[in-house]
Formats: sequence, C-alpha cells, structure tokens
Amino acid sequence: MAKSTPTEAHRVPRLGIQLENIRKHYGDHVVLDDVSLDVEPGTVTALIGPSGAGKSTFLRCINLLEQPDGGTIRVAGHTIEPGKNIAPKDLARLRSAVGMVFQSFNLFPHMTALKNISFPQQRVLGRSKDEADERAMQLLERVGLKDKAHQHPGRCSGGQQQRIAIARALALDPSIMLFDEPTSALDPEVGLEVLAVMRELAADGMTMVVVTHEMQFARDVSDTLVVMADCKIIEQGDPRAIMSDPQEARTRRFLRAVLER
Amino acid sequence: MNWLQQWAGYLPQMLSGLGVSLFIAAVAIVAGYPLGLLLSVMVQHRNLVIRTLGLAIVEIGRGAPALVILYLVYYGLPKFGIAFESIQAACIALVWNAAAYSSEIIRAGLQSVARGQTEAAYVLGLSGRDTFFRVIMPQGMRSAIPGLMGVAIQMFQGTSLAYAIAVPELMKSAYNIGSEDFNYLQIFTLAGICYAVISIPATWITVYFEKRMSRHA
Repeated sequence: MAKSTPTEAHRVPRLGIQLENIRKHYGDHVVLDDVSLDVEPGTVTALIGPSGAGKSTFLRCINLLEQPDGGTIRVAGHTIEPGKNIAPKDLARLRSAVGMVFQSFNLFPHMTALKNISFPQQRVLGRSKDEADERAMQLLERVGLKDKAHQHPGRCSGGQQQRIAIARALALDPSIMLFDEPTSALDPEVGLEVLAVMRELAADGMTMVVVTHEMQFARDVSDTLVVMADCKIIEQGDPRAIMSDPQEARTRRFLRAVLER
Repeated sequence: MNWLQQWAGYLPQMLSGLGVSLFIAAVAIVAGYPLGLLLSVMVQHRNLVIRTLGLAIVEIGRGAPALVILYLVYYGLPKFGIAFESIQAACIALVWNAAAYSSEIIRAGLQSVARGQTEAAYVLGLSGRDTFFRVIMPQGMRSAIPGLMGVAIQMFQGTSLAYAIAVPELMKSAYNIGSEDFNYLQIFTLAGICYAVISIPATWITVYFEKRMSRHA
C-alpha cells in the first residue's frame, strides 16, 4: 500500500527491502529461523512480539550490524549474500543509505548536537562544513530542537537526545530508516515527542521499519504489522485487522498481554 | 649551622638537577603516551604477530623493574654496538616504562567506551579510522586522564633511578653535595622536598580530575 506522494526531500531513488530466508544463530542457539520479509518503498513496517523473539536481531541484519548466517538481503538497491566478502566501499554505501535509530540514542557525548549531525555528513558524504551545518540546523528545526544546537547531549533530556539522533540519521539522506525500540528508554510522555517526529517522517513517505512496543503507534502509523515470536514471523498484514482479529493463538496471547497492561 | 642557610647554598646545584629530572620525565611522558596509545591498539589487534609483539613490549616494560631496563639499555646494548649517552639511556628506559604502563590505562579507557558508540559510528557509515580517532579515542582518553597523570608522577619519581648510571639529575646532585660535606641528612631531606613539591600538587590535580570525571560520568 503506497502512502502519500514523496516530497522533494527524497531525491534518492526510493527502494525497499527484501529479506529472504534470513538465518542467524549463536552456537547452538537459534535466533532467526528462515525469516523473510518484503518492505515496499514508502511504507512503514512495525515489528512487534515478545522479547527474545528476534525482532532486534532481525532489524540489525538489515544493515549488517549483525551478520546473518544465511539468506539474501536486498536493501536500497544492494544485494548482499551473507558469508561472501562485501567490499568495504559497498558496505559504507549501504550503511549511509540505511539510517538507524537505537533504543539508547548513542549520540556522541563529546560533540554538540550540531556537530553530532554535521560531522558524519562531512566524513561520509564529503559535504563542506558550512553545507553540513546548514543541513543540521534545518533538521534540528524540523525536530523542534534548534535551540539545543550548541548543547552537548548530556544536557538534553532523553526525548531530545532521541530526536537529535533521528536528525543525525536523516542528515545522510537515507532511503530507509530503521528504529530499534526508539521509545523504550523514555518516559511515556517524553516518548510522545519522539513518536510525533516519526509520524511526520512516515507522512513524508520515508520507508521505515520500526521495532516497537507502542501498539497505538503500530496501529495508527504502520502499513504492515509483523508479529514475531520464537525466531519466526508468525503473522503479518494490515495492523488493524491483526489487532482486532489475530489468526494465531500466539499473537492473541501476546496482544492480550500488551493491551491489557 | 642553620639548615635553611645550608639549603640556600645547595639550591643552585639542586635546581639544575631538578631541571634534568623534569626533562627526563617530560621526554618519558611526551614520547611514552603516544607509544602507549599505539601499544594499546597493538595488544587488541586481530593480527596475532602484531598482538604478540605489543604484548611482549608491554609485559617486559611492566614486568621488569625500570632499573633492569635502564641497565640493559646502558650496559647491555653496547654489546650489540648500540651505545647511548647516560641521559639518552635513561630517557629510553623511562619511555618504555611509561609506554607500557600508559598502554594498559589507555586500553582500559578505550574499552570503557560504550559499545553503542561503535555501533552508531558503524550505521552512519563512518570509516574505521574516523570511528577510532574521532569517536572512541576522545571519549576513552578522557576517562584515562587520571590514570595517565598517576603515571606521570610515577615517571617523575622514576627519574631518580637514572642516578644509577650517573645522569646529573636531582638524586645525583644531592649525592654529590652530600659526599663533599657529609651533611647527608640535610641534603637528602632537601631532595625529598624537591620531589614532593612537584609530586604532591600533581596528585592534587589528579584527584581533582578524578572527582570531575566521576561527576560527569
């Protein structure tokens, strides 16, 4: 299902993600058991499920933060067969095409908010300092934190840090954004600021894969809901349909546990 | 005779000795810390040869007393046709010592940087070089500062070993003066004060940094 038309911000060709038969294990312990997923460009996919289901590992396989043991990854126009040597140049291109936001923000604490966003642009995309700073200021304004430009992350709240982290990822003009439980480390109220930025991003047509426990966000914003349990995808489809009428007993159990909280 | 008057008479020679001690300590630190950084990277290197070489240099530097290394450099190396002036030999031995000790402190500092920092650099597409020099090192070195200042004090006091190979540093100056008029008590007390005047304020600065670090941690 295609979303609203892309804005001029997306000059990059919009490419989706195809993951086929992704397998991952640590020793004898299986983490991902033949998981396949298609993400259409311009759509939002929400990944939910009990902890230990392999959601985060699966997400981290998309940008090769984890090396899968088998399967094929096609992301942002690059095809990757795990186990084969990937040229560092291709890997760097892939990484800058796929933005990622972590649960723990992971801003660079020794740099100001502005520099956190500006520095990677200069080093990865070769932008001039002025150009990078200007883009950084635009993005800070977009996430509502222009006044924090010259503060270090330590002086920002968790919600502010996460919004800066989103701006940092966006500054590299990624065609896909991955979110790994972006609000799990935040107070519910503060989490809303972050979710608001993500909603806006989704409305702009960004391709997003979001691991989350925010059921309302998953229902309202995502185009596809993917339920993972026991190292597999057990159910996927329209979020409202799954939430109101889950087909799998495991999904029912999980949803009841989350929604009755 | 009054101690203070005696000390005043000794002071010019003592200060020149102190100058030599400070010079050797400065060389040990200025050359030793960058080498320590290099060694800290070597001992974590995935290449076995590089890692083993780094480990050997670090473990000899930490395992052998500085005096043994000093003697090996000054008396041992000439056997291989490599001869150094006594002050050069002292510098080499203490640089080795400083590099070995600082490498362990720096390694601990680098390893204390949260794993998420490397991951963030990775997903942004930063090169390995940028990740190390612009992301990990500035943070790791920050937590290594108190330890490195401790090594600096240790190096300054370690310069007294150079006395053993006749470097005209503080201890040697004191000994020379003492052997002229046999006022060993006065002169070595003064030598102790000279070391303390440098070391104690340096310790205070270290403690200050440690407190500041823990506050911002």
